[in-house]
Amino acid sequence: MTASELARRRFTAVALPHLDAAYSLAKSLAGNGADAEDIVQEACLRALTALETQQVEKPRAWMLTITRNAALTFLSRRAPPSPADVGDLERDGRLSAAEPGPDAEARLIAADESSALRGALAELPLALRETLLMRAVHGLSYRDIAAATAAPVGTVMSRLARARAALSQVLGGKK
Amino acid sequence: MTEADDKALRLHAALDGELDAAGMLAFERACAEDPALAAEFARLESVEEALRRAAPIEPAPAHLRARMAALGAPQRRRFWSAPPRALAASLLLGAFLGYGGALLRPAPPQDERALVSAFMRTQIGGQSVDVATSDRHVVKPWLATRAPLAVAAVDLASAGFPLIGGRVEALDGRIAPTLVYRRREHRIEVTELPLSGRASENIETSRFDGYHVARWSDFDRSYVAVTDLPETELADFVAAFRAAVAAEREEPRAK
Repeated sequence: MTASELARRRFTAVALPHLDAAYSLAKSLAGNGADAEDIVQEACLRALTALETQQVEKPRAWMLTITRNAALTFLSRRAPPSPADVGDLERDGRLSAAEPGPDAEARLIAADESSALRGALAELPLALRETLLMRAVHGLSYRDIAAATAAPVGTVMSRLARARAALSQVLGGKK
Repeated sequence: MTEADDKALRLHAALDGELDAAGMLAFERACAEDPALAAEFARLESVEEALRRAAPIEPAPAHLRARMAALGAPQRRRFWSAPPRALAASLLLGAFLGYGGALLRPAPPQDERALVSAFMRTQIGGQSVDVATSDRHVVKPWLATRAPLAVAAVDLASAGFPLIGGRVEALDGRIAPTLVYRRREHRIEVTELPLSGRASENIETSRFDGYHVARWSDFDRSYVAVTDLPETELADFVAAFRAAVAAEREEPRAK
C-alpha cells in the first residue's frame, strides 16, 4: 500500500514526535527492545493507514493507543516471554560491575531501587501495567487512558490504585 | 464502593491532578487535619518519582527512527528539486512583468516554502495563533514585545477577513511576526519580513503544495501571505490589507 501525500504529511506531524514515547511504552509492555521495535513499526503502519481518513486531536494519546493495541496483538501471538536484552541488563548493573567512586554506593542503592521497581512493574498484570505507565510516565489523563484501554474511568482509577499499591510494597520492603 | 475506597481513589486523583479546584481544596483541608493522609500522599508521590526514574521515556533506536521517518517522507519530490523550479518561475514572472532586463531580486523562495510549511503545520497541529483575539489593539502590542518589527495589525473585518490572532515565526534565524485572518473556514496568514532588495509595487504570487502565496512590499518591509483560499480571494485580501496599512500610515496617531 502506498500512503497518500496527505497521510505522510500528517504522519510526520502527528506520529513521529511521539516515537520515543511509543517505543518506551512498547518496550515496557513487551519486556525487551527487539519486540518493541516490531511493535512500533506495526503501530506506525497502522497510524499511516488511519491518517488517510482521520484527523487527530490528541496526538500523544492517539499514538500511545495505537502502540498499545499493536503491543496487545503482538503479545497475544508471542508464546514465551523473551528475556530482557543486553541493554537492559547493562542499565540495571547486572552485566557491568559498578564503577567505584565517591557516590558509588548511592548509585548502587538507586540502581537497586530502580531495578526492584522495574521488576515489580514487569510482574504486574498487563492491564495494571499499561494503565500505570500511561499515567505516571506518559502523563495521559484518566479520560484518555479510559479511551485507550476501552475501560470506564472508574476502572482506570482502581487499576492505578492497585498498581501503585503493588509497587509501594516493593519499595517499602527495601527501605 | 465503600467510603474507604472512595477516599483512596480521591488520593490518587489528587496525585494525578485530576481533581477540580473545589476537590483539591477539600483534599488539602483533609490532609491538614489528617497527618496520616498527608504522609500517605507524600509516600505515593515518592513512589511515582521513583517509577519515573526507573521507567523513563527512552529514545527510540536511531535505525528505527530513520525507518519510521522514511514512512512520512514525501514520495516523489525530492527536497532540492522544488526551489530551483520555483526560482525559475519567479524569474520568468519577473521577466514577464517587464523589468527591462534589470535583474531584480527574485524573491527568495525559501521564505515562502518555510511559511507554507508553517501554515501546514498549524493546520495539522490545530494551533495557528499564540495570541487568539480579534482585537488588533491586543495583537499589535503582543507581537511588538516579541518581534523586532512594528506590526501592521490592521482590522479587515469590514472587508470580510476578521482577525483571529497572531503568532511569531522563526525564519532562518529571523523573528517574523505573523497575523492570522479568517474567511469562512479558511485562513490567511500574513508574515512581515525586513525588506530585502528594492521595494516593489508588484504582487508576486506563487503556489506551493496547493497553497497560494503572495509577496509584496511597501517602502520598508516585505509581506508574505499564505492561504488555502482560491487565488482570487487572496488578491482581494492583499488589496484590502495594503489599503488598510496605507490608510493607517496616513493617520498614524488617530487611534
